[in-house]
Amino acid sequence: MSKSIQRTALVLAGLVAGGLLIAAPAVADSASPSASTAPLVLRIGMTTGIDNPNLWAVNSPAEWGSLILQYDLALQFSPDLAAQPSVADSCDPSADFKTWTCKIHPGIKWSDGQPLTSKDVAFSYRFAIDKQFDYFSSYFPKGTTFETPDDLTLIWHSPVATRGPKVPAWAYIVPEHIWGKYANDDIDKIKAVNTVPNVASGPFIMTSATPGQNWTFTRNPYFWGNKPVYDQIVFQLYTNQEAMVQALKNGQIDIGDGFDGALLPALGAIKNVKVQKVTSDFWVNMAFNFGNQDTPSKPLAALKDIKVRKAIELAIDKQAIVDKVYPQAASPGETIVRPLSDYWHLDIPSDKVLGYDPAAANALLDEAGYPMGTDGVRIDPKNSNSPLRLRLPVSDDVNGSTSIGQLIEGFLKKVGIAVEVKPVTAAKMYDLQQAGDFDAYVWYWTGDPDPNYQLSVFTSDACLGDGHLSDGCWKDATYDSMFAKQTAEMNPEARLKIVQDMQQYVYDQVPVIVLAYPNYIEAYRTDQVAGLVPTPVKDGYLTTSYGYASMVSAHPAQQDAAPASTSSSGIPPWAMGLIGLVLVIGGWLVWRRFGKRGDDEFERD
Amino acid sequence: MRLRYIRRKCGWALLTLWFVLTANFFLFRIMPGDPIGLLARSQRLSAEALAHQLTLFGLDRPLPLQYLIYLKQTLTGHLGVSIISGTDISTLIAGRIWPTVLLVGVGTGLAALVGVLIGIKGGWARGTSFDRSSLYGSLLLYATPEGWLGMLLLITFAGTLGWFPAGGYTSSSGDTAPQLGDIASHLFLPALTLTLGYIGSFVIVMRSSMIDVKDEDYITTARAKGLSDGQVRRRHAVPNAFLPSFTLIVLSVGFILGGAIVVETVFSWPGLGLLTYQAIKDQDYPVLQAVFLLSSLAVIMANLVADITYGFLDPRIEEV
Repeated sequence: MSKSIQRTALVLAGLVAGGLLIAAPAVADSASPSASTAPLVLRIGMTTGIDNPNLWAVNSPAEWGSLILQYDLALQFSPDLAAQPSVADSCDPSADFKTWTCKIHPGIKWSDGQPLTSKDVAFSYRFAIDKQFDYFSSYFPKGTTFETPDDLTLIWHSPVATRGPKVPAWAYIVPEHIWGKYANDDIDKIKAVNTVPNVASGPFIMTSATPGQNWTFTRNPYFWGNKPVYDQIVFQLYTNQEAMVQALKNGQIDIGDGFDGALLPALGAIKNVKVQKVTSDFWVNMAFNFGNQDTPSKPLAALKDIKVRKAIELAIDKQAIVDKVYPQAASPGETIVRPLSDYWHLDIPSDKVLGYDPAAANALLDEAGYPMGTDGVRIDPKNSNSPLRLRLPVSDDVNGSTSIGQLIEGFLKKVGIAVEVKPVTAAKMYDLQQAGDFDAYVWYWTGDPDPNYQLSVFTSDACLGDGHLSDGCWKDATYDSMFAKQTAEMNPEARLKIVQDMQQYVYDQVPVIVLAYPNYIEAYRTDQVAGLVPTPVKDGYLTTSYGYASMVSAHPAQQDAAPASTSSSGIPPWAMGLIGLVLVIGGWLVWRRFGKRGDDEFERD
Repeated sequence: MRLRYIRRKCGWALLTLWFVLTANFFLFRIMPGDPIGLLARSQRLSAEALAHQLTLFGLDRPLPLQYLIYLKQTLTGHLGVSIISGTDISTLIAGRIWPTVLLVGVGTGLAALVGVLIGIKGGWARGTSFDRSSLYGSLLLYATPEGWLGMLLLITFAGTLGWFPAGGYTSSSGDTAPQLGDIASHLFLPALTLTLGYIGSFVIVMRSSMIDVKDEDYITTARAKGLSDGQVRRRHAVPNAFLPSFTLIVLSVGFILGGAIVVETVFSWPGLGLLTYQAIKDQDYPVLQAVFLLSSLAVIMANLVADITYGFLDPRIEEV
């Protein structure tokens, strides 16, 4: 390429770039929709995406959040997580609690304008039961049937006394005229159906999905409740939490959902950002394997000795785990019913707490007959003097799980138990749990406000079959009996006593060690959005958790504020002009330099 | 002779391609769990879809027949389905190719352009302050982890100054088509991160070549003929010194389709790198297999282009 063409190309490139940069703010502003036509959008940053918008395939937190925005329950969660009217105005039991009569609110329509009737409710429940969608069908005792004498009446017929509707049953109401055609299809085909744009009855409907990027929910014109202020809600995926912090800082998003505790200082330092530390509704546990799965894997035999499990709990400093892994964002764990269900949650009496006491742990292991080996690892004389070595996989879907595993390794080393920490993906952890191929593991549990589901995973039945829920297949007849009793108890106070006794029993038997109750952390720009209402009302979720009330009441912090521009750059005009000017001047200087040299060379040649 | 050279290079490329396809075939079969079991884990496959996959890839046939069926299906673009989402992998990848090509292409292109120019000037003016500062700067950038650099740029320009978005491909959502300026603003920081991350290698390679070439006899001859410094550099030194850099550039182009896992994760850029990261986390082996195949193919093609072009640029190569 000749030198004249080279210099011309360079100079032109500089001039064009400079011109573009100088003009860019004007171009960007003219390309943006005007304030009067742009929709009012609430942007929520999420750290998980929506792989499949189909409600029957729900899995990730973002997918649950999307369902909560779009679909209704028959009775919804109240601010204190009890049941309150929703699609149904009321659900009243018979004297024996086997029959429930629900009255459907009149005039409700689906987002396509079709009427919502009791037949849709009955269809939704039957569909969930018949297709065995466990997330939704567990609220219906086996053999439950539904009757719809008219469009506004739904009757539950249960073979046993049930609290079902008033739990409330977390089973979404779907349109029969959309899903009825899949009634004879298998579960996998149903999950594969592309449903966007969805048809639902909630305040917002998913109208577009860009996998790996964002998902848009548009206001439902037929929503039966209070009209939301926002026209659209957008879930924006951030695969890096620090980026989500910066997006909140620069106003790219209004709310950030699901921050790690380590980011609390960074969030606290941002002007106009309020942090919500939600009382924990999940807990991190160390679960022991009792080897009752029907697989070849054999866990450490000594774990069947309750003294060994108690010694392990005594040896673990839960406060240290909280301080080091979840600073300012968790509390030490105790029972298997999470603190957010504060009506049900039991605070273990101080005289029964197995607090951090490595000396007591060592004494207990000595008393139980596990002498220290020459290498500092205790041996089990009842099993050929095999060393007490734990295989401890830790799941990567628990924040800080590897750190927790390493801390446990250090704690147990002091009492003569060797630990092999193995970080695994959640998918791998599932395989290990199903196969029983571990001695203990670190994972987490979450559940409903009502403790029934949480309590059920510790029953012997929870160890049955493929996909079983039990951590380590602990089987205890006393516990099973207590569970059956609380299931049948319809008196709330009497049931509360049983539920708390069950928590104490599990704590005493130590099939799991509840390590921590991490807070769930949200943050939002107080100068951009207002009207958010937490659920439950005390230290609850601000976004989509147990209902959409917050999303309906949310509004811009300044009601007459212009919608956020979608222009391409946040570079201030003065900076862009300056950069453009530098490029233009640079191009001119290059022209002059090459031009002079080129002339000289031409003359020499 | 040139034709024979091209034929030889094409032959080696085909052989390499066959090796990659074969390795890809066995890779899927030595992973934990059998292929049928892995597919059956999918929550998104209907029984019919699962049966279709089994038939398509002959997973219930003897191994040699499976291999032949696999070759046929792969070469005709049937890459299977994701075991996590049940989505056809070809569709999944197609949606990620453009963002990847855009990001890694821009980053690599800018790094190559600027890096080569700096290397030329530094190598020619060896020992000057420009050479020293550009060399040390290049080494520093080359040694800097991309993820750290990306976070630094993110915090400074997106968070503190608010000049650029903090992540994503576009701010547009819903039915609004993404605007060019919007994409450009989202692209700037991740592309800058890649440019700064890659530039060091181009500077160092070009500079070394220039230093080597500078002492060649033909350079001395050119000077003796009375050519100016600029003419000697431009007409004699750079064309010869550029050959190693040319290979590096072409090979870098081949790596574009591999994506940039770290940068895409830092900036939530929906490219093939992020897809790979998510597939590793989810143990989505069919997706990993497809991405591995695609990136290997790109590198083989780029290598072939480099070899053939090299033969035209430097006739001495063909005689070897």
